[in-house]
Amino acid sequence: MTKRTGRLWQRLRISSQVLFTALFFYLLIRTGQSATETFTFSDYFFYFDPLLLLLNLIATHKVMPLFLLSLIPLVLTLVLGRFFCGWVCPMGAIQQLFTRLFRKSNREKQVSRTLLKMKYIILILVVVFALMGTHLGGWLDPFSLLTRSTATVISPAVNHTLEQTLKGGAGETGIVAGSLKPVYQLARDHVITEKQRAFAQSLLIGAIFLAIILLNMARRRFFCNYLCPLGALYGLVAKFSLFNFKVDDSCKACNLCAKNCTYAGSPYQDYLKSECLVCFNCTTDCPHGSILARFLPPKRENRTKIDLGRRKLVGSIVSGVFAASLPRIAPASIRKTHPFTRPPGSVSEKEFLEKCIRCGECIQVCPTNLLQPALTEAGWDGIWTPILNPATGYCEFECHKCTQVCPTEAIARISLEEKKKFKIGTAVIDRDRCYTYADGYNCAVCEEHCPVPDKAIRFREVPVWNFEGRLVTVKQIYVIPDLCIGCGICENVCPRSDAPGIINTAEEEQREFSY
Amino acid sequence: MKRRDFIKSTAAASSALFIPATIAGGETAPASLVARVSGESPYDITNKAIELVGGMRKFIAKGDVVMVKPNIGWNRTVEQGACTNPEVVKAVIEQVMNAGAKEVIVMDHTCHKSADTYRRSGIEEVAKNLGADVRHADDNRLVIHDFKGERIPRWPVYRDFLDVDKFINVPILKHHGSAGLTIGMKNLYGILGGVRGKLHRSMGASIADLARGFKTDLTVVDAYRVMKRNGPVGGRLSDVELKKTVLASANIFEVDMVSVDVFGETPERFEFIQEGIKRNLGIGDLSKINVKTAAV
Repeated sequence: MTKRTGRLWQRLRISSQVLFTALFFYLLIRTGQSATETFTFSDYFFYFDPLLLLLNLIATHKVMPLFLLSLIPLVLTLVLGRFFCGWVCPMGAIQQLFTRLFRKSNREKQVSRTLLKMKYIILILVVVFALMGTHLGGWLDPFSLLTRSTATVISPAVNHTLEQTLKGGAGETGIVAGSLKPVYQLARDHVITEKQRAFAQSLLIGAIFLAIILLNMARRRFFCNYLCPLGALYGLVAKFSLFNFKVDDSCKACNLCAKNCTYAGSPYQDYLKSECLVCFNCTTDCPHGSILARFLPPKRENRTKIDLGRRKLVGSIVSGVFAASLPRIAPASIRKTHPFTRPPGSVSEKEFLEKCIRCGECIQVCPTNLLQPALTEAGWDGIWTPILNPATGYCEFECHKCTQVCPTEAIARISLEEKKKFKIGTAVIDRDRCYTYADGYNCAVCEEHCPVPDKAIRFREVPVWNFEGRLVTVKQIYVIPDLCIGCGICENVCPRSDAPGIINTAEEEQREFSY
Repeated sequence: MKRRDFIKSTAAASSALFIPATIAGGETAPASLVARVSGESPYDITNKAIELVGGMRKFIAKGDVVMVKPNIGWNRTVEQGACTNPEVVKAVIEQVMNAGAKEVIVMDHTCHKSADTYRRSGIEEVAKNLGADVRHADDNRLVIHDFKGERIPRWPVYRDFLDVDKFINVPILKHHGSAGLTIGMKNLYGILGGVRGKLHRSMGASIADLARGFKTDLTVVDAYRVMKRNGPVGGRLSDVELKKTVLASANIFEVDMVSVDVFGETPERFEFIQEGIKRNLGIGDLSKINVKTAAV
């Protein structure tokens, strides 16, 4: 293949990457964070992820029909090799971009053949964990990782930065503010959210994402080469793919083809079908046009293979079985109470932990910033699963967006009418804090906001000794547990400053909390 | 700036003239006249009500920047009667524009997320189609305003509400758990930022303080669909009653008095009315208020 043709293919590949990355973010943004928006397609990338098909099959013994779409890229891989990583994956595209930006640091560095095995070990661990009922695939699955990082870090951080830099434009006075005003207004109308969103795990998730980006300085496409379990799955299949690169007789053995190769291999001496991302960089670097792109029936490779060997294979399976039991022998798995609630439509806790891929789709679309990624509230294996935090938001009565975007139906697809009746939990009054009990004066902000048409929060006139020691008549609030749906707006709007006087709890939640 | 200066100067002028503070208030009560119009079309009866109180030109001067402040608090549909009827808002905006206003701004500090309430209430669409500037409450634009009230001395207010020449209040009449009813005076909560829930402690006094400490040029009350129970958020259609009425007045207190009557209650029952009488916001006797009634 001539350099010219190579460059053409390379450009095609880059265009494809840009296109799919743009599509990924377009779906996320278009699905948006408004309860009145009915476009909800941000989950569609996940259905093309065979790793999730596999993990959900193991964990739930069921095939979710939409996930059968992921067989398309899997079958195509048999023909084209790991084209998905090189041409489609948005996470891969971001890695490629930073590999390029950091080329001065990573150019001279070899990509260790031993370390390439790491992602296969990760894949084995993830599968073994799933067999043991713990779902960690989402930690490193590229779509989950990217969606989660976008929802809890990238998007709120961009918002904050924009708001802080343009804030002066809000005042309208002074030269700076006056000239900033149109830009500020434009950003307000189209980019900045009404309220800055905040997430409990921003620091941790952000640090991990940043580290993954910066690791591209150490090695090219670090994440894709070493960490990605989906890449590993494609790699296993790509071993048998038809497509491969080869050098012809004009090759002068200069090995320039390894210069920009994502895994620092080369068609000349170190070609690995399982690692080649079909990026066509080698064809643009070859000064002699010696590289051939061919479709040949699979035959045994007589070069370096990425082979774990029996010891490592058995070792990682055994250690995975052992490690997978660790989160399940923590108190969280046997306690009868739990300090968190799950989004409306969530399945029983055991099933939830098996199905949820921690992708943060629900967290991203929640219009009020209610959903938060957990740390250890839901146990060690519940990290980054969605829990409700009424301190940051409330469940909007006229909204069921989280139920519409959950790719694995850990949050079942329920209609708006079903959701309005779904009992997330029950509000409980803290009588030591509620103004109408503790201080003896009227408040009832919670009653006002209670969205249940029959009002799950009501008040009755009761004589109370107030904070001045006088007996006064107070409109004292009370909760009717059977009517309460646990939306948490009462806790969210409670005007008490130290801690809310009414708390949303998991009491009487509709889903079963059964292990 | 203009409004704030005005409030300051009136306060200064009145104290200089030794007028008792109770009469001067923040504002002097305008001549009472309340229009009460019923009819099939919310749009037509709004126009009629404005006509009966003297026409929009009486309130709006050419080149004015005008704030139209409906109740857009909740993510509820028109039929549920939690937000001001968009047809009423439409009529008001049209009238303001026809009176020669330079700019019309529509805004509310909502209870539910405003992106949703603006859209679901239908008000955003109506206002944008007419070319009004639909703004969302922006905490960067909060300034401390001195209401000189008993319960609310100083409180953060979105400057959008202060930096205009005229303020038109377009509330909806509905049931309200802790206040009893929410009409024009209570609708002024929507100009406030901060933790408004703290004001629920003595709600009647807070509402009356707001009405006294903030000048409203015209109040148009939507009493077309009236939520009779489970307010202010409601949601159940069976709680909504068709009253097919719109009221208008330059006096926010008196239009509230008459609206209570439309609701089917006696004004004296409500704390915020009592507090309003104490503050001399208008005629505290329903039978003495000058009401012009019409049907379209």
